[in-house]
Amino acid sequence: MSQNTVARRTSKPPSPWKPVTPSRKLSNPNAVVSLNGRWGYIFTAPFFVMFLIFGLAPIIYSVYIAFFDWDALGTKVFIGMDNFTNLMADDRFWNAMVNTFDIWLMSTIPMLIISISLAAVLHSPFLKGSTFWRTILLVPNITSVLAIAIVFGQLFGRDFGIVNDIIGALGFPHVDFIQGTQSSHIAIASMIVWRWTGYNALIFLAAMLAVPGELYESASLDGASKWQQFRYVTLPSLRNTITFVLIVGTIGGLQVFAEPLILGGSYNGGDSGQFSTLTLFLFDQAFVAYKWGYAAAIGIMITVIVSIVSIINFYITRKLAGEKK
Amino acid sequence: MSHKSIFNKTAAVFTASLIAIGALGVVSPAKAIINCTNATSDGNGCTVLNILYFGDVIEPALVTAYKKIHPEIKLNYVRKDLDPLNGTILVNNCATGGMNDPDIASIEVSYAGYWKSYPQCFTNLNTMHSTDGNKSAADIKSQFLAWRWDQGVGNDKSVIGIPTDVGGLQVAYRWDLLKLAGLPYQRDAVSAQWNTWDKFIAFGKRYMTAVKSASFKSALTALTKSKDKATRDFYKTQAPLSFVDNVATVYASILNQGTQKYYADNGTPTGKTIYKTNPQVKLAFDTTVAASKSGIGARIGQFSSDWNVGMTKGTFATMLAPAWMMDYIKGQAPATAGKWDIANIPGGGGNQGGSQLAIPKGAKHKQAAWDFITWYLAPAQQLTVFQTYGLFPSTKTLYTSGDLVGFKDPFFNNAQVGSIYVKGILKLKPIFEGKKERCIDMAMGSALSLVINGKEKVPAKAFTKGLSDADKCN
Repeated sequence: MSQNTVARRTSKPPSPWKPVTPSRKLSNPNAVVSLNGRWGYIFTAPFFVMFLIFGLAPIIYSVYIAFFDWDALGTKVFIGMDNFTNLMADDRFWNAMVNTFDIWLMSTIPMLIISISLAAVLHSPFLKGSTFWRTILLVPNITSVLAIAIVFGQLFGRDFGIVNDIIGALGFPHVDFIQGTQSSHIAIASMIVWRWTGYNALIFLAAMLAVPGELYESASLDGASKWQQFRYVTLPSLRNTITFVLIVGTIGGLQVFAEPLILGGSYNGGDSGQFSTLTLFLFDQAFVAYKWGYAAAIGIMITVIVSIVSIINFYITRKLAGEKK
Repeated sequence: MSHKSIFNKTAAVFTASLIAIGALGVVSPAKAIINCTNATSDGNGCTVLNILYFGDVIEPALVTAYKKIHPEIKLNYVRKDLDPLNGTILVNNCATGGMNDPDIASIEVSYAGYWKSYPQCFTNLNTMHSTDGNKSAADIKSQFLAWRWDQGVGNDKSVIGIPTDVGGLQVAYRWDLLKLAGLPYQRDAVSAQWNTWDKFIAFGKRYMTAVKSASFKSALTALTKSKDKATRDFYKTQAPLSFVDNVATVYASILNQGTQKYYADNGTPTGKTIYKTNPQVKLAFDTTVAASKSGIGARIGQFSSDWNVGMTKGTFATMLAPAWMMDYIKGQAPATAGKWDIANIPGGGGNQGGSQLAIPKGAKHKQAAWDFITWYLAPAQQLTVFQTYGLFPSTKTLYTSGDLVGFKDPFFNNAQVGSIYVKGILKLKPIFEGKKERCIDMAMGSALSLVINGKEKVPAKAFTKGLSDADKCN
């Protein structure tokens, strides 16, 4: 797909995904096929059984309890849609939603730009020791979120944090990153950016390596500069990858949990809920307030929101890609 | 006492004697050679006792001591860092019939209100009888603080947990900074100066004025130029100085000094909520707002990195400190040794923290668990825990013992910390705690924080928001 701008102009290359036709030499091809089918089920069964038990069953159950008032141990009281109507009127929910989207935006956009740039640098034939750099990019990703949050919490400390030391040295007053609303979002977004940029850079690098070299050759023959090659050859080829990274990033970004939890050290997302996120709010309602029905309703709303945002993402990226043809 | 319970008691005594005889007959000869250190499951004469807890409830030195007395018991303890995780495991276990219950579980006091509503998840400790001394919960009750004991009594009057330590709450302060500011700095003097919260705020204002004065600055500068390098380094302060770390801690303190918090005991097991009408809640809120407006607070979150560093740097001159905090200060700010002191908290006593040890319904080794609890929480062991780890005993029988009240801490300028904390703890009255206690408390705390951090200029609006968020707990 990544090469269809070229493919239109020349003859269509054979798709690598085209299924290989079974060998005719087998005396009874049907037997092989049916055997394959049966083994297929058996081999995939572990996943599906686990998914049924640990994936589907809890989902169905939480949809069920979303219609009840239940404190986890007492009797379940059926209250119909009350959990949802209360949720719609709950300013803590909207606060968490705004915070989540703000953190998501502030982490996703810088992350996309930095990771594509990093991938471009790694893609450069002049870079020495590329394997080393590629490996090192993954280090933030395998670091425990807990450790990241503790270290970043110290970096962004008001009185003795390094960031504020720099701000102070430049002659500005110290910023109370953790107590402020917008500033705490910056702190959390920076953790996410730090953790995921390298990982995404590798995904972009893989996509860049898949761009056929002839495209660059013909572009340079046409007199395109390095920047023009990047802008008109590399970037359009990345659009599926960008969609992928955005959707995965949306699902992850709307579930930000550990970073705000550790940064604030409590379940309310900062002293005044200034960085309470949707999942943190869910956790707080389930395990501190013991309102499991309400928490289940929040969970369903998160699913709905992620679906809507993913669909929007998908169409916007499609449209942007379409305009560049 | 009904006939049935006498029978139960007799039966239990009989069983206990049988176990005791069994212990003498079977275990004793094997005691010398038995080693259960590596036991992962019951068998070979070993019993594995699973303990699920949060924080610093189970202390390693005492675990070693218990192993010497009971080599046949392997204590397998699992510590959770987040208190809700601890609670969630218990909730799940109880909801599924207690199949996976640990033998002993700790319950943090902020969840006491919730668990009191579900005594059926736990073993009624009045029905247990220890192998050593045949003691039930009722027999040891008189040793403990009444209000602390009540936090482990279920709504049906069964005993679900035995108190571990008690937090207490006093003021830890940097006497050297108060002295530099030209204020009274000896513990009796400051205790008298801030015996009410209003006076505490007024004292704080005086400190805030003093630290901005030229004389304070020159005194501090003189110290930073001292010939002694340690003194020089120590007084190099980079952050603005405040009087108290965070005024939010004032709220809970005032609330605990009353006789009622968010619930009133109306004779029913659940009680009724009174947070909207209880003047103590309003008083606590308003006083905290006043403290915040006076600008004495550093607005540092407890346990944040700024707070940890600030303890050494003198960013705040006072903090409200439960007894267990003394150990934390020593760990975080060793350089401040001897520069701290402990004075009385304004308005009387206070408490922050503490747990109960419970035996969940589905525990497999209830007898061994009860034997451990009665040993571990007996006055002698609580005294050891206090001397080693600074956790304050919940057994009031110790409160007259010279080992406790005579205990002086050189880190805190040789303050008689034992007697200071005892005084405050004895002033507290039992307070009825309801099911949603913690949720209501968090709602009020968040609202208060809006004012403290300047996000809500009108305190009355924040108070209303706190109350309406508290309504959502039910």
